[in-house]
Amino acid sequence: MSTPVLDQDLSSDLAAASLVLARLFSAGATLWCIAPAWEPHAQHVAVEFVHPVIVGKKALPAVALTGPDLVATVRMSARPGDVVLAVAAADQPDVCSVMRRAPAWGATTLWIGSGPRPGAGAADHVLWLGDPDPRLPATGGFVLLYHLLWELTHVCFEHPGLLAPETPVACTTEGSLADPSMEPAVCITCSDEGRLGEVVGPGRARTATGIEDVATVLVDPVVPGDLLLIHAGMAITKVEVP
Amino acid sequence: MTGFLYPFLEAEERDQESLLRDLAASARAKAAESAALREATLAANAELVETAAAEMARRFTAGGRLFTFGNGGSSTDAATLAGLFAHPPLGAPLPAWSLAADQAILTALGNDVGFELVFARQLIARGDARDVAVAMSTSGSSKDLTAAFREARKRGMYTVGFAGYDGGEFAASPDVDVCFVVRSQSVHRIQEAQALLGYAVWEKVQEGIA
Repeated sequence: MSTPVLDQDLSSDLAAASLVLARLFSAGATLWCIAPAWEPHAQHVAVEFVHPVIVGKKALPAVALTGPDLVATVRMSARPGDVVLAVAAADQPDVCSVMRRAPAWGATTLWIGSGPRPGAGAADHVLWLGDPDPRLPATGGFVLLYHLLWELTHVCFEHPGLLAPETPVACTTEGSLADPSMEPAVCITCSDEGRLGEVVGPGRARTATGIEDVATVLVDPVVPGDLLLIHAGMAITKVEVP
Repeated sequence: MTGFLYPFLEAEERDQESLLRDLAASARAKAAESAALREATLAANAELVETAAAEMARRFTAGGRLFTFGNGGSSTDAATLAGLFAHPPLGAPLPAWSLAADQAILTALGNDVGFELVFARQLIARGDARDVAVAMSTSGSSKDLTAAFREARKRGMYTVGFAGYDGGEFAASPDVDVCFVVRSQSVHRIQEAQALLGYAVWEKVQEGIA
């Protein structure tokens, strides 16, 4: 088993993810960690942030979510402005579902994994090792990635002037704008954008800004859990959940 | 274009770009350091890996089981190692458990007899002379781990310790059959190298039971 190489792209992705994470922590975010196939990784990330190994570093709110029905657990846990970090393969069904829904919960997503890469735009930040060996998750490669994420995030805290969220941070290859299905559709007449919402009940959807009324006449029937693209109070299309 | 009107905006932009460049360079440097340490650690411990894996394979074949434990991040690395033995993506599953997995047992023992005995007491209940105890630690000196090794030794178990720095108490303890020492001062780099060492042991055990 070779040791993973941190190339230019991956190191840039790590840097961008760290700055975004530091900004969100500064704004009050909680980091929710999931790793369905290798739960100890989720716990390792959480303990890293909550109880830093370097004395004097700030303790930050991070929680490992484990057990059955992860999608429901993350849905219940995450608040707008939070971060969801997954350590999982690109085809892990619960993680795919969580990543797709997270924009409706107002959560920023970070995905660490190896092997075949998730599709473009599957998460806000993708930190990926290309090695397809299924044993890689047990070799320390992921541990290295989330250790570096922790280390760089704390470096960012030494630059308080850059923690204000105004300036967007671009990553090399990812970003929710890269996937057409996730792109906020912009109305050509009023240039209002489409936002993702998750149905919570008849005529009600959860979006990044809270629970709101939504007209579903164009997309009916809908059931709780359905994802909708909402434009000016109107659901204009259903968004498929993997 | 707006730099003329708002020079401070551009300055901030440049600062962000330069911070991101510094962060990326720092990540690459740390990853290179980690890779070098992991390679050096594997090379320095090649013989010990063979020794530990051969004895573990012999014990698994004879019906023995593996118990892993540690504290904090190391407890999760110990759990990942137990998971690799128990549910390997490739190879034969072997009986292995993390002793930090059950919160009822951990809190019952921690509350009733003290944290130092959270793992030792579980070995009293579950461990026998065919079994293997693996503790992962960066200091090599945590009291709950040395107490567990003392108990494991008493019960005739095979004991394997993972430590960092200079090996701590594990390195000098008569209770530890094989001690892997990752010679680094960084908790993070130590854990990364220990993960690869544990993986190397698992790989050899798989060969040994084939």
